[in-house]
Amino acid sequence: MNKENTSQKSNGTKEALTNNKRRKFLSGIFSLGLALSTNGFGKDIRSSSPVKTNILRPPGAVPEEIFLSKCIRCGRCVEVCPYRAIKPLDIHYGVYAGSPIIHVLDIPCYLCMKCVHICPTGTLRPVAMKDVRMGLAVIDKHTCITWRGEALCRTCYNVCPFKEKAIHLDELRPVVDDRYCTGCGICAHGCPITNKQGLKGINIRPIYAFK
Amino acid sequence: MSKKQRKNKHKWNNIRFLIQFFAFFLILIAPFLNYYFHINFIQGWYQSISIGRLWFVSPLEGLESILTSKLIYLPLLIGMVFPILIAFFLGRLFCAWICPISFLSELIDKVIIIFSKKRYRKDTITLPRRVFWFSFLGEIILAMILGTPIFVFLSPPGLVGREIMMAVFFHTLVLEGVIIFVVLILHLFTRRFFCRYLCPLGALLGIIGAKRRLIVVRDASLCNKCGMCKKACPLGLNPIKGESLSAYCWNCGECIDACSKEALTFYWKDIKIDYPYNINTHQVQMDKNSTP
Repeated sequence: MNKENTSQKSNGTKEALTNNKRRKFLSGIFSLGLALSTNGFGKDIRSSSPVKTNILRPPGAVPEEIFLSKCIRCGRCVEVCPYRAIKPLDIHYGVYAGSPIIHVLDIPCYLCMKCVHICPTGTLRPVAMKDVRMGLAVIDKHTCITWRGEALCRTCYNVCPFKEKAIHLDELRPVVDDRYCTGCGICAHGCPITNKQGLKGINIRPIYAFK
Repeated sequence: MSKKQRKNKHKWNNIRFLIQFFAFFLILIAPFLNYYFHINFIQGWYQSISIGRLWFVSPLEGLESILTSKLIYLPLLIGMVFPILIAFFLGRLFCAWICPISFLSELIDKVIIIFSKKRYRKDTITLPRRVFWFSFLGEIILAMILGTPIFVFLSPPGLVGREIMMAVFFHTLVLEGVIIFVVLILHLFTRRFFCRYLCPLGALLGIIGAKRRLIVVRDASLCNKCGMCKKACPLGLNPIKGESLSAYCWNCGECIDACSKEALTFYWKDIKIDYPYNINTHQVQMDKNSTP
């Protein structure tokens, strides 16, 4: 009986020692991960991000720098979007895979504001329709036929959900007001002109996506 | 054996399979409702699911999102509360009773039983059980190094829902769905290989439920140590050694159904009673424990 007891005791102290070692080792690894993650390897988010002209994040999105770490790729914004504008990125995008994106030239965002209210992680913040800043519409004056003086097109003006505010006509030519433009992309989607680079007469630049 | 006993033989297995089926049915039907009828009442899958205004977030996904972004969002925490409470009181119940991978694995088991008379397959590949915790730790660290909860995106329970959604919404399957097949093929070699050794979500739920209230206990006076429970356990645990009390057990009830002597039962642990359970050796003094 006695012998057994002593052997158990020594075992216990050994275990306690190894436990202590393990704890130190694990905490070391953990802090290393923490240190690395704060630097994020100093990658340039602007060049690697799939967010480009006319390719935008859904409304209310947090800046692209933290979008990736906040989004859990649950796909609920994809499911809720009644226009099927939001699509998940596929595995070719590496770490960006699964995060939601809107190709405004395919289907623009019609600002129904359903997705912002269902995001479980706050990646899409619940914002009001007029406060959405997915990007900013920028008129390409070399492509836009009205600005080139070839025709009197005002499609972007007609389709804009914030007509007269976000896009108004200045001597029959469309002008964007950055105070009101939500970057929904309806104008770019409606624009009948496509140039050689595949861009429209009016394009959405994701200037609010990056800090 | 009396008729009544025989009726109860597969009680827990049948209940579990029914619940698994309904859980799978829920994520199977939700994309159709969303896509064709625009009914958003039930949404998402087991990464984040919402039923009406109530939504749940998988604890691992939430934890990774918080750790990688270092930002706390209250609705996220609220969504995590219910799954964490389930794990805290009932252990890895999600893994065994709800997870779609569990459903698919048991479906495969049911098909295999038709062809071979053997009810329980033997394990061909085994790893040290500790790998489970290191897989969780490695997953968290890698996610933090990459700065994205990417491994959550690749976790099989979520992938099943994602594949169903992609098939319904975009009429394609995504490449990462291969992982589901790998997991199910590994299941053919060793039952629940992924769930047993690699699933980080299971490990997190296991850690949360280490001191769970619902446990499987063995009545030593009824047990004749035939070893059927060990054969039945899909995780390769041995209830005779008290391993059903460890953090690995997921309360599936397979061993309870396998026991011919009805020595094993689900038991709601009373926190007032001090159980002589050693977490390092996963041993328990069964004589004192045999009171229930």
